Amino acid sequence: MRSFQYSRPSSLTAAAGEMGGLLAQDPDAPAAYLAGGTTLLDLMKLDVARPERVIDLSALRGELGHVHPGATELRLGAFARMAEVAAHPGVIADYPVIAQSLALAASAQLRNMASLGGNVLQRTRCSYFRDPSWAACNKRTPGSGCAALGGVNRAHAVLGTSEHCIATYPGDFAQALLALDATLVLAGPQGSRTLPFGSLHQLPAATPHRETTLLPGELITEFVIPARAWTRRSLYLKVRDRESYEFAVASAAVALDLDGDVVREARIALGGVATIPWRAHGAEDALRGLTLTETLAWTAAENAFAAARPQTHNAFKIDLGQAALMRALLQAASLEIRP
Amino acid sequence: MTGPLFPQGGPNMGQPAPRYEGRAKVTGEARYPSDVRLPRTAHACLHLSRIGRGTIRGFDLTAARAVHGVIDILTHETVGDAIRQTPAIYQGGYTSDSLLPLGSAEIAHWGQPIAMVVAETYEAAREAAQRIVVTTAPHPSPAVDINAPGAETRALEPMMVQAGDFDAAYAAGPIRIDARYTTPAQHQNPMELFATQCVWEGDRLTVHEPSQYVNSVKFGLAEQLGVPADNIRVISTHVGGAFGAKGFLTQRTALVAIAARRLGRPVKLVATREQGFTVSGYRAETRQHVQLAATRDGRLTALRHEGWELTSRADTVAMGGASMTTRLYACPNILGRVNTVAADRSTPGFMRAPGEVPYGFALETALDELADRLGMDPVELRRVNDTQTEPVGGLPYTSRSLMRCFDVAAATFGWSGRSPRPGSMREGDWLIGWGCASAYYPAQAGNSAARVRLTADGTAHVASAGHELGQGMTTMMAQVAAEELGVPLERVTVSLGDSDLPPAVVNGGSAGTASVASAIMIACDAIRARLGVPRDAPYAALRAAVAASGLAFVEELGEARAHGRSPESLPDMYRGRALPLGGVELPDRVQFAMGAQFVELRIHRWTREIRVRRAVGAFAAGRIINPRTSHSQLLGGMIWGIGSALHEHTDIDQRNAAYTNANLADYLVPVHADISEIQAILVSEEDRLVNQAGVKGVGEIGVVGVAAAISNAVFHATGRRLRDLPIKLEHLL
Amino acid sequence: MDTEKHDTTAPSSNRRRFLVGSALSGTVPFLPHEAEARAPLAARPPGDAAPGFALHVNAHVYQVALDPRTTLLDALREHLDLTGVKKGCDHGQCGACTVLVEGRRELSCLSLAASMQGREVTTIEGLATPDGRLHPMQQAFMNHDAFQCGYCTPGQILSAIGCIREGHAGTPVDIREYMSGNLCRCAAYPNIVAAIEQARDQGEG
Repeated sequence: MRSFQYSRPSSLTAAAGEMGGLLAQDPDAPAAYLAGGTTLLDLMKLDVARPERVIDLSALRGELGHVHPGATELRLGAFARMAEVAAHPGVIADYPVIAQSLALAASAQLRNMASLGGNVLQRTRCSYFRDPSWAACNKRTPGSGCAALGGVNRAHAVLGTSEHCIATYPGDFAQALLALDATLVLAGPQGSRTLPFGSLHQLPAATPHRETTLLPGELITEFVIPARAWTRRSLYLKVRDRESYEFAVASAAVALDLDGDVVREARIALGGVATIPWRAHGAEDALRGLTLTETLAWTAAENAFAAARPQTHNAFKIDLGQAALMRALLQAASLEIRP
Repeated sequence: MTGPLFPQGGPNMGQPAPRYEGRAKVTGEARYPSDVRLPRTAHACLHLSRIGRGTIRGFDLTAARAVHGVIDILTHETVGDAIRQTPAIYQGGYTSDSLLPLGSAEIAHWGQPIAMVVAETYEAAREAAQRIVVTTAPHPSPAVDINAPGAETRALEPMMVQAGDFDAAYAAGPIRIDARYTTPAQHQNPMELFATQCVWEGDRLTVHEPSQYVNSVKFGLAEQLGVPADNIRVISTHVGGAFGAKGFLTQRTALVAIAARRLGRPVKLVATREQGFTVSGYRAETRQHVQLAATRDGRLTALRHEGWELTSRADTVAMGGASMTTRLYACPNILGRVNTVAADRSTPGFMRAPGEVPYGFALETALDELADRLGMDPVELRRVNDTQTEPVGGLPYTSRSLMRCFDVAAATFGWSGRSPRPGSMREGDWLIGWGCASAYYPAQAGNSAARVRLTADGTAHVASAGHELGQGMTTMMAQVAAEELGVPLERVTVSLGDSDLPPAVVNGGSAGTASVASAIMIACDAIRARLGVPRDAPYAALRAAVAASGLAFVEELGEARAHGRSPESLPDMYRGRALPLGGVELPDRVQFAMGAQFVELRIHRWTREIRVRRAVGAFAAGRIINPRTSHSQLLGGMIWGIGSALHEHTDIDQRNAAYTNANLADYLVPVHADISEIQAILVSEEDRLVNQAGVKGVGEIGVVGVAAAISNAVFHATGRRLRDLPIKLEHLL
Repeated sequence: MDTEKHDTTAPSSNRRRFLVGSALSGTVPFLPHEAEARAPLAARPPGDAAPGFALHVNAHVYQVALDPRTTLLDALREHLDLTGVKKGCDHGQCGACTVLVEGRRELSCLSLAASMQGREVTTIEGLATPDGRLHPMQQAFMNHDAFQCGYCTPGQILSAIGCIREGHAGTPVDIREYMSGNLCRCAAYPNIVAAIEQARDQGEG
């Protein structure tokens, strides 16, 4: 870990102001916001992240830590702890996929530390990204290549990959947000704005180092999740090698609006299998207006992975991802939803 | 309120005394070697090779030296000849591998220590180690694993086992099984990191290091540094788990010692979790070939077990499990062979039940395949081939309770309710599988000494350089002295884990308790003899005898020589060379602890997660001195078995033999949620032959056979026979 | 080295800008080689101590002056000699470094000591009463032989206290799930669960 200068502003305004000041002097300033620390300190210890200035946001918990489940929308402060949201009765009852995606992530301790904003921005677990002794990593060093392509890549992505990067997006919460059409509220030196969650993450394509569309110095302040007809019939299915405390090998966030057995509307996002939180629009279309059977669920699942491209060790993720989606759909359909 | 899970007592079983050091461990007062605070400590950080086999062309240490607080950087260029080349443990020496620490520009494997930074703070040492720039010439095609084209296979003739005529009997066998199995590289990953602190006072060196064998570290380090062994003291009071990883002297210790000498101040190294993957040994990957022939009623007529084990180029290391798997069942025609495959990797070492886990997996899975072919209950197959005589040399088992273990475990498990047809047991979306296997581990002991002092105030003190690894050594030592002398347990104190104490066997091979308990018993006998107090005399009589002696205390040294060791071997004990002996290595008998493992697992019909729902193990291991700590070791072993079967494998990059999952997020070990119903049953067994204490040891047997029971259960659930570990969901999709 | 290209078509076109922007959580992807080539932002020499601050641990106040990089874990172990907290992975993957922060279980290895200003930290050394009476969770761990080597034990005990306080210790299944962040390589898991049930039934958390 490199040396850095440390500051701990007492408000959002002060934090954004500090970052804005640094960027005004040097638009490329190697400065970082520190929230829960569970990603940044990890990567700094690995010598992957090397900020020279760390702006600690831990004093902002009170300012941006709200959990407000309402009848029309759920508003979550970006500094709410994962654990608080996962355990909130209103979230569990009315936005189950949100609560489940958080409860099934990481460990109790990490969920007590990590902020929601930090969670959606967590970096890939690709072994080659996380070890700077591998020279080839387009995410770390643009143009250097991708060591994972010829390496151990069981954990890597089959969807959204490019010849430049196959690193998997590791989170869980993001799939829930994507499935429920969440909106982000952002703040930064240039002011505030909103952004559809689905526009946050960028495919690696030829620029895997560009992971999100945040502007310089911008940070997430709030998540807004609309309550819709399918929100309560939602769930997060996470498949792992061991029972807990592991990143997803494959996961599915699904939300269904049913008319009897007929799917009025479906929302599907996949995790563990793609380079970014992966919305399966095609699978949603395949379900709409039809009676949900095992066969239809399978058709939708096949559709979701039609464009999948396997690597040396991860071809199984196509079968597994399909199975996970199918299982999630049938499980969601069988949920008892109280009016 | 739930009562404790461990048994409260039983035949040939001592009391479930609470752990001697329990309070220290729950309050944080227990100081592990890296917790020892030494004034003016400088902090070290290793830099390991990031290429596979190759050569160092040069270092650029400019950036590293520029880090504020850096004091010294050791490389092969700066160390000079401060460390001597000495033989490894496998050649009768002390070190865990043959590579001279920072010995030359040659790199043998990825992860080899090639530099060490010493700085004022841990933070500075870490940064500087990361800023070291090395120019290297990598070998174009290092042999990265057991299957690599450049790896060299060598048959180990001394490990060959032969009886009857295997080829003829196999050819004539009415029912035959011919199957190949593989097991992966695995790492012990004790929770405690590999730490070393060294401090010199004049020409005397004290080393604080978690160890299973302080005397081996002491004498090995003396050889490496060219200093008298009497000048070195190694202290390892608490060890945060070892599992074979802390058995012998690794390269780091000499580096820290010479750094401390160069600086004239204490130096502390705590290797990172990732570095730990190559700082010490590991369980090497294996390939195995098993051929069985049997009559239609299940009697084995031919058994061949051949193994190939990965080793390093520098050292020929093999666990040789076929020497045991060929002697467990009655069979007239036997062939056992072991080969090593040398690749460009670090030297493997010992990991809990090193030979028994991989070889036991193959043999016990093959037996299940045979049972399936015969349409026979796998328990019954073991029964018809049970024997009290080892089949190769015709030697007797000192005791063998395999089928009693099977019967107890099967009854507890409810095995009779099994529906034998694969895929026939289901619950909703989950396929249910039941499987079983035998467990076995050689009963071993090594030469050990212990000193017992009985003081006039009626207290006793026991001292031996054994180790508390969590197995309960300290408690056991106190209990044995208390029982032998008749002193109340709470009046006995214990010292261990210090090379200044009477030497003990390396605490590996499940031999610690048997060896040290025997030495304590001898010392206590001597005390009673000196006082003229008969065995079972009341405590008051014992105290009266000390008082009458006019002495402040009576102290005796007990030296226990292990069965099969010559009298000439005792001096070796005082030179850090007391290794366990037993199992099939004795001229007159074989001695094993035995057990039976039963597992129920469930597999999701779509997503194929494999989860162990229940496990029952029953084990007969001679005398159980402390059922509390023994039970805990067996439970822990069984859980290790679950990890070994379903989770643990070290990923190897095919380009440079880098370990790509050298951390605890990616090298998966079982977590709380993986373990639900699990039962370890202590089956009573008395063995007066095995050693003075009648103890066979329970540290390792719990893990043996679990992987086979799981693979057999997977077959039962799905009809798919998986012969490669670990078994993961993708193998069942 | 500077491989930056001008591209004005997207808000994130400037890589460096993007890098700064991507980081609420600490996810700033500084590219090592670039950072290397830059003049340091901080005028302060690397490794220099930060201004002193107060750490509140086990109801004591410690004035410390630490390198800003110092984690809470290293501060406790190396500077305050509170070595009951253990380093098992240093990356949030094992739970051995668990402490209570404001009564909540957190990982001291992924926290900067400096971030703890104004927050009360409890370590294993702070559980027993000053006269040596054990916390019921400590006693339960002893009763049930809920440890072997003992290295993960302080973290397990503190995590178990947090688990009960959070209301996640109602059933063995819940306990196992919510204790899964604490690895025990000796695998004392069944005994740990039994110990937590005992402490829970005594109303302790």
